[in-house]
Amino acid sequence: MIEYFIKNRVSICSVFNYPLINTPNKYLMNISIEKKTFSEAVHIASRFAERKSTTLPVLSSILIIAGDEGIKMRATNLETGIDLKVEGECKGDGVVAIPAVLLQQIASSLTQDGKITLEHTGDIVTISSGTGKSTIKTVPYDDFPSIPFPENPKNRIVLPGILLKNLFTTIASCASASTVRPELSSIYLSIEGGVLTSVATDSFRLAEKKIPLSNKGTQGKFLIPAKNALDIAQALPDDDIIMSFDEHQCAFVSPNGMLVSRLTNAVYPDYRQIIPKESIVEAVVLRKDFEAALKRTTIFSDIFQKIRISFDPKKNIFSLFAKNADIGESNETISARISGSSLDLSFNHRYLSAALSLTNAESLSLLAAGIGRPLIIKGVNDTSLLYLVSPMNQ
Amino acid sequence: MILTGSPRKTSVSSVFNKGILQNIMNKADPKELWEYVLTQVELSISAANFNTWFRNSFVVRIGEDGVLYVGVPSQFFKDWYLKKFHTLLLKIVRDISYEFRNIEYLIVKDEHRKPPKEVKPARGALELPLDEFYINKSDNLNPRYTFDTFVIGSFNNLAYSAAQAALNRPGITYNPLFIYGDTGRGKTHLIQAIGNQFKKQYLGRKVFYLTSEKFAVDYTDSVQAGSANRFKDKYRQYDLLIMDDVQFLSKKEKTQEELFHLFNALYDTNKQIIFSSDRAPVSIPDIAERLKGRLASGMAINIEEPDTESRMAIVQKKAASHGVMLSPEVIEYVATSMSGSIRELEGMVNNIICHTQVKGSAPDLAEVRQSLRSFTRPQKNISVKNVVDKVAEFYGIDEESIYEKTRRREVVRPRQVIMYILREDFNISYPTIGTKLGGRDHTTVIHSCEKIKKEIAVDNELLKEIQNIRTLLV
Repeated sequence: MIEYFIKNRVSICSVFNYPLINTPNKYLMNISIEKKTFSEAVHIASRFAERKSTTLPVLSSILIIAGDEGIKMRATNLETGIDLKVEGECKGDGVVAIPAVLLQQIASSLTQDGKITLEHTGDIVTISSGTGKSTIKTVPYDDFPSIPFPENPKNRIVLPGILLKNLFTTIASCASASTVRPELSSIYLSIEGGVLTSVATDSFRLAEKKIPLSNKGTQGKFLIPAKNALDIAQALPDDDIIMSFDEHQCAFVSPNGMLVSRLTNAVYPDYRQIIPKESIVEAVVLRKDFEAALKRTTIFSDIFQKIRISFDPKKNIFSLFAKNADIGESNETISARISGSSLDLSFNHRYLSAALSLTNAESLSLLAAGIGRPLIIKGVNDTSLLYLVSPMNQ
Repeated sequence: MILTGSPRKTSVSSVFNKGILQNIMNKADPKELWEYVLTQVELSISAANFNTWFRNSFVVRIGEDGVLYVGVPSQFFKDWYLKKFHTLLLKIVRDISYEFRNIEYLIVKDEHRKPPKEVKPARGALELPLDEFYINKSDNLNPRYTFDTFVIGSFNNLAYSAAQAALNRPGITYNPLFIYGDTGRGKTHLIQAIGNQFKKQYLGRKVFYLTSEKFAVDYTDSVQAGSANRFKDKYRQYDLLIMDDVQFLSKKEKTQEELFHLFNALYDTNKQIIFSSDRAPVSIPDIAERLKGRLASGMAINIEEPDTESRMAIVQKKAASHGVMLSPEVIEYVATSMSGSIRELEGMVNNIICHTQVKGSAPDLAEVRQSLRSFTRPQKNISVKNVVDKVAEFYGIDEESIYEKTRRREVVRPRQVIMYILREDFNISYPTIGTKLGGRDHTTVIHSCEKIKKEIAVDNELLKEIQNIRTLLV
């Protein structure tokens, strides 16, 4: 399937951007789907529907299309969009839009196995499953927007969906939550020399992760809003997908459907320049020691969530210290291999613990470049990750 | 059908509305035009549709060929505008004027849209210095250089006014604008600020900033790659071209020739050109006469050495921009302890800021003096004798007389100055100074230092003398 798409680039666009069906009203939709399949599809698609009710009502709906290409569910909030294929039996073609929240509630209330049938008559959809039967008012679908595919997607790569899924879910939390600087609330993805590099920063810490790619030809870079990346990650399948992008739009295509997102149209800061080139001290610690010590020290951190770490190269000890005037204080020492000079630095503990979710390495290497300069955390034997965290005022 | 201008179904109020608005509207102003279009659109579509699709759009610019460029946030919007609203919008703008031939939709950069309110997390963590390295790739401008951070004093007032004039009527008032002055006087800041302001003021017009060295390299590369024509086209498309440090073009004859042609092309089409250099156009050596003439043909302005007040303002602004409030004494000390380059001044301020961030509070005068020692005077290898020699030489008196117990006026003043300098700049203890200068009591030394300090505050001549002596001591 994937190969088929690659060979016939044009056909992808035609498959997914065919004009919205102008079904005459005499053909009314009648479909039946396995309950489990239906629930899963609704949960995935509803994530892409608009959650605020202030906008166009059709944007908070899921569009169900039954036609020559089988059954599809579509949803968009004008930031991201989904076009999902659903397996099922199609007895009559047609299109309906149903509020996403409603569908979601129905989907999560389904219990036994069996099929669910949706039948469209007039402006009403009748949903019957086993013994129950309910009717729902539909939303007029004329205003449902088309879901744009990148205009000229010459930039495309194929990679396993699971990799991208993990990448987005781990790194997105490092992007800025505020929308003041759109580039910082985005994930920066750059493809060069067969490596996909992704970067996220909120200007207090920065995470860079690399994934090797199978095809080495493609080059390019883009910024995807972190919020959109998270939504997309939830809907990505584990198998191979095609990721394509142009200046304004990116798409993730799999045999099950298509996901698109708007891209951030801004320049990403040249982050490489802030990565300290040299370090004055390095500590290698066991991940489980560090994690446990950090967890205990965190309890004693103050309102600024500050904890102090110390490198002691003479005794080969790495220690964490926190003090809270209301609670008390705590000091944890863990044995470590330390080379360099002794140094104390203070950090927000949340930024330190965030590094742990980014790597699975058994031991971590912490490199400090001096007072007031960022600390680098890497996984030992894990070259894919680089995590940079800025210290707090002493 | 659209061209026929058939009567539309509009309510009475909208006709009335339209009449008034259309008469007072300036249709060349994108903002007013778009506001008028929106009032019309609002009447034709549902409120939900209007809020969803039109809240974040605006007119980017009105093209000379009658094409209206509308900026929209994403591809979703572009597709939908083309599909659903194109005819409606076209009809509305045609009703205003037949000059509008077409509408095109552009996806605009996120930062051009309305900035949301800033929320700063106040957690006391230092930010990674991403901003400092942030350079816009498409125009090479560093957004850090703006007029907001530019200090205007008597030394650069003229250059600033010329810059503003050039901004108001680009390509017409002063073309080319040539700014020159010694290194570290803020030339680059000024010309980049012009670029940044131009970008803000004239959305959609193209700015490009580069150094003459980059221009030369670009040219040689393009000749090597055989793409000289592309090179020509590339630079001719800009509405504002800013070239820094043109003096480096001397002796590069081919590059000069290329610049000459580029200059003519831009100048003839009324595109603004801005140059900077460390000397006046006529005194740049080894540069073709015809280019020299052209460089000087617009407005050439010198940025002078900043006066003390301006320097103090610069120090204060620079520190404040990093959120550090310095006491007046500290500002004065930093501003006066070194003459010349603003860049070195910035370096000193950065040093203070770094100390502040590490310590968590603004430093006082003594600490500043301590931390700036490395900037001000090299301490080593200077003996008391050396200072005495230099000062005696400066005042044209015999150095022996300094050590003697004479109270002649022409000797007393230099002696006091020596004590003051030894104390202030080299931090030598009062008793040591006393002993070294002919066995005087330390209270004498204290008195002398205090006296000079007081006099400096009112006597500018003395201040200048001491500054001159300090330069001799380096």
